[in-house]
Amino acid sequence: MLMNGVVPGNQERGWNDPPQFSYGLQVAHGPQRNLLNKRPPPALTSGAGAPPAAPPSSNPLAPPPCAVAPPLLNPAGPPPGAVATPPPPHLGQMRTKREAAISQSESEPEVEGVMSVLNGALAACRRAVKAQVCNEVAKRLHLMEDSWRSGRLSLPVRRRMDTLSAELQKGRWDAADDIHRSLMVDHVTEVSQWMVGVKRLIAETRNLSPELLEPLQKVRGPVEDSAEPVREPVKEPGELQQSLQLVQKEEEPDSAEPAQNPVEPVQDPVEPVQDPVSES
Amino acid sequence: MTTYQEFIQQNEDRDGVRFSWNLWPSSRLEATRLVVPVSCLFTPLKERPNLPPVQYEPVLCSRANCKAVLNPLCQVDFRAKIWACNFCFQRNPFPPSYAGISDVNQPAELMPQFSTIEYIVQRGPAAPLIFLYVVDTCLEEEDLQALKESLQMSLSLLPPNALVGLITFGRMVQVHELSCEGIAKSYVFRGTKDLTAKQIQEMLGLTKPAVTGQQGRPLAPQDAAATCKFLQPVHRVDMNLTDLLGELQRDPWPVPQGKRPLRSTGVALSVAVGLLEGTFPNTGARVMLFIGGPPTQGPGMVVGDELKTPIRSWHDIQKDNARHLKKATKYYEALANRSATNGHSIDIYACALDQTGLLEMKCLSNLTGGHIVMGDSFNTSLFKQTFQRVFSKDYNGDFRMAFGGVLEVKVKELGIGGTSQWKVCGLNPSTTLGIYFEVVNQHNAPVPQGGRGAVQFVTQYQHSNTQRRIRVTTIARNWADAQSQIQHIESSFDQEAAAVLMARLGVFRAESEEGPDVLRWLDRQLIRLCQKFGQFNKDDPTSFRLSESLSLYPQFMFHLRRSPFLQVFNNSPDESSYYRHHFVRQDLTQSLIMIQPILYSYSFHGPPEPVLLDSSSILPDRILLMDTFFQLVIYHGETIAQWRKAGYQEMAEYENFKQLLQAPLDDAQEILQTRFPMPRYIDTEHGGSQARFLLSKVNPSQTHNNLYAWGQETGAPILTDDVSLQVFMDHLKKLAVSSSA
Repeated sequence: MLMNGVVPGNQERGWNDPPQFSYGLQVAHGPQRNLLNKRPPPALTSGAGAPPAAPPSSNPLAPPPCAVAPPLLNPAGPPPGAVATPPPPHLGQMRTKREAAISQSESEPEVEGVMSVLNGALAACRRAVKAQVCNEVAKRLHLMEDSWRSGRLSLPVRRRMDTLSAELQKGRWDAADDIHRSLMVDHVTEVSQWMVGVKRLIAETRNLSPELLEPLQKVRGPVEDSAEPVREPVKEPGELQQSLQLVQKEEEPDSAEPAQNPVEPVQDPVEPVQDPVSES
Repeated sequence: MTTYQEFIQQNEDRDGVRFSWNLWPSSRLEATRLVVPVSCLFTPLKERPNLPPVQYEPVLCSRANCKAVLNPLCQVDFRAKIWACNFCFQRNPFPPSYAGISDVNQPAELMPQFSTIEYIVQRGPAAPLIFLYVVDTCLEEEDLQALKESLQMSLSLLPPNALVGLITFGRMVQVHELSCEGIAKSYVFRGTKDLTAKQIQEMLGLTKPAVTGQQGRPLAPQDAAATCKFLQPVHRVDMNLTDLLGELQRDPWPVPQGKRPLRSTGVALSVAVGLLEGTFPNTGARVMLFIGGPPTQGPGMVVGDELKTPIRSWHDIQKDNARHLKKATKYYEALANRSATNGHSIDIYACALDQTGLLEMKCLSNLTGGHIVMGDSFNTSLFKQTFQRVFSKDYNGDFRMAFGGVLEVKVKELGIGGTSQWKVCGLNPSTTLGIYFEVVNQHNAPVPQGGRGAVQFVTQYQHSNTQRRIRVTTIARNWADAQSQIQHIESSFDQEAAAVLMARLGVFRAESEEGPDVLRWLDRQLIRLCQKFGQFNKDDPTSFRLSESLSLYPQFMFHLRRSPFLQVFNNSPDESSYYRHHFVRQDLTQSLIMIQPILYSYSFHGPPEPVLLDSSSILPDRILLMDTFFQLVIYHGETIAQWRKAGYQEMAEYENFKQLLQAPLDDAQEILQTRFPMPRYIDTEHGGSQARFLLSKVNPSQTHNNLYAWGQETGAPILTDDVSLQVFMDHLKKLAVSSSA
């Protein structure tokens, strides 16, 4: 019953282990605020404060008293103890997101698109960065591609890598960096072997002089989803976190499925080749 | 016209200061008669989003033994461009850059709203932050894997220019070279033999070779950064280090049946401290120690390797049966002092089901401003997220951690400035110090003209963005003559601050004295305070009254007496050390939560409300949320639990019940998402075994002893022989009004 983006703790290894929050949820908060910080006025000094008189519930099966509760959905109110076949649980908001998620299953990220961007960036780096570093990065990109193609990466990871490569291509270095961090925090087991290569790639690419960035721009990037109700264009880092949370929400129902083999022929891009002017 | 409550709150918001007394008694004798000393809680780096730092050096008083910073309390002659120091009355000329000031064009540091102000000062090249990981490899496979992943993750959270290093240890201690190319190399030390700093530095190649009989000297910082192969910038070695971490194996030495692994924590720390001392003295650095069990060999060992000899308990310590305790504590204290001298912090991340030796090692963190995090396993959300939060960032995108803190406190005594200085090393925005003052005026000496005392706090530190900064807070309070103005002094009492300050004194005593003596001391202070300020008729307990400014204080003391900070029963020595460590560094609000947990009630009777921490608050149709700081407990009353079990929350027409169940969870989330360290999360109900966390904290106003005396059965009786608040207050009143004092 915890909110989305939250996973229960590891009760096997740690007693009363608290739930785990996604990177986006943790970063969104400022310093510690104390909303629960009131104490009631002290009890009368002579003897104990009289405990509030609450009617003891004699029938444990009785439903919550509806007289003082917020209005029930069914205004007639339930008869005590006799409830007909209960209606399906009210998932509310979740349903619309789920529908949206199903409707965009065709936007399953493609490894080719992601790899072409990353390799493009790497190619751009080769002219300015030491060969040894580039080879190390290449090794890790290869590892990632391998994991992706053999179905070892979960959907949330694939989706976020897709977004990362899109940001990288647009020259939005901070956004790309933030996504890499969120992946390291939320999915370290899946990504730790190769993510540092992506991290280094972002770091080196952002330092390149603009003319070197041409190979990156020429790459056919991941297809932009124009009719997407959930994922909005990210303008600010704050929005990125929001969109990550939304992505999390839609990913929750899907995360259980085994990763499909995403190998499909690369679609012809709907959009023309990117404008060569770089954004930095 | 502000009340004292408002005055206290405004001062805390602006300056991060809470004084026990906001009117100061004018003589030493009167101060001791007040029982609670004149003292304050001070948060040097309180987060102030509306306080942009200024980019110039502070103006100092020119008197050599004063050097107070220009502040709003100083008298200024704008025409002559002269200011008078309010601490020593020295007249100082303004520096030439202040030529343009006037009373309509004042520099920020003179304005009252800048009683707290921060200066950015440039002194030499910006020094990078340094993080040295010291990792125990005697862990279970699952734990080691989880720890490795957390460390790899942390590399993504470090700033690219930070320097990072890795020492691993088990039976031996390995210092890893982080060169970018070729074969990975490491330097190995025997875990049994302690070495001096000089030996360590020589063996690691950190000293210049001896030239014609000269002693080896440590490298200059610039050389060290370039050539220190053990501490390298993250942006250069992150890929190699990630691989290195990924390839770490468990300590290869086999552990025979009935034995503990040989863990050389003492030597590992000695090497870490020596390495940093030899390469980056006086630069902000963090040693992060990760351990999965106690030190079992070498200097600083806490227990032997035979499992049949358990690690010391409180009982052992009281019976003087803890062989290694004194020697180990002394060893770690020496390391801690060296580290503090160099401005280096030491964190301890201890994850194990049994104790790990925090009692002996706590000084490493306490003296250097480092963290202590205690968990059951590295593969838990509690450790992983708490560790992530070490690297949390503020509203500017900078780390909340600060380094190399030095705090100076300056006071005015009869015209002569007096200063005290402390090294605080590691700091964060919530670090709060307790500072205790001694009034030195002689009794019957006249109250100083102008009637105000002043204190100035000057905190120099290295910001996480590597800037050197100085934060200056200057405050004043009026002196008062205790003979004629005792009521005013009484109304200036801040009972919350006083409770925390006395509690810190109590913890300090508890760590150096026998347990029962501390409780007697605390009780005696409380009785004296009640005798001094209570309104009563002699020998008539029922007439006893306390004014509003003191009314909550006895309750705080009651809960403090029962708290794990003063009661070691039911906690291991490590647990007590852990709780005390956090208690003496948190700000006032969090400290109060630790002393007297907050209890909120959720029911259909109305919106959520705070309720008494009392057994009478435990009712069948309520959900309770209790925050003790270390735990968040959600307790479902008997009826609620039955409804939940029956599944009413799944039914559409019982949406309100679902919302009721969700409400405390939502409120708990807010705390879970921000608190450091992350608390345990306990979801329990009437009759549940975990309900004991709630039952042991509430005031047991109903017990099995007095249940039938109550008449009406409301609330849950607690099975305890502990004294209740009511009985405690009755005794207190009797003693306070007694004429045979």
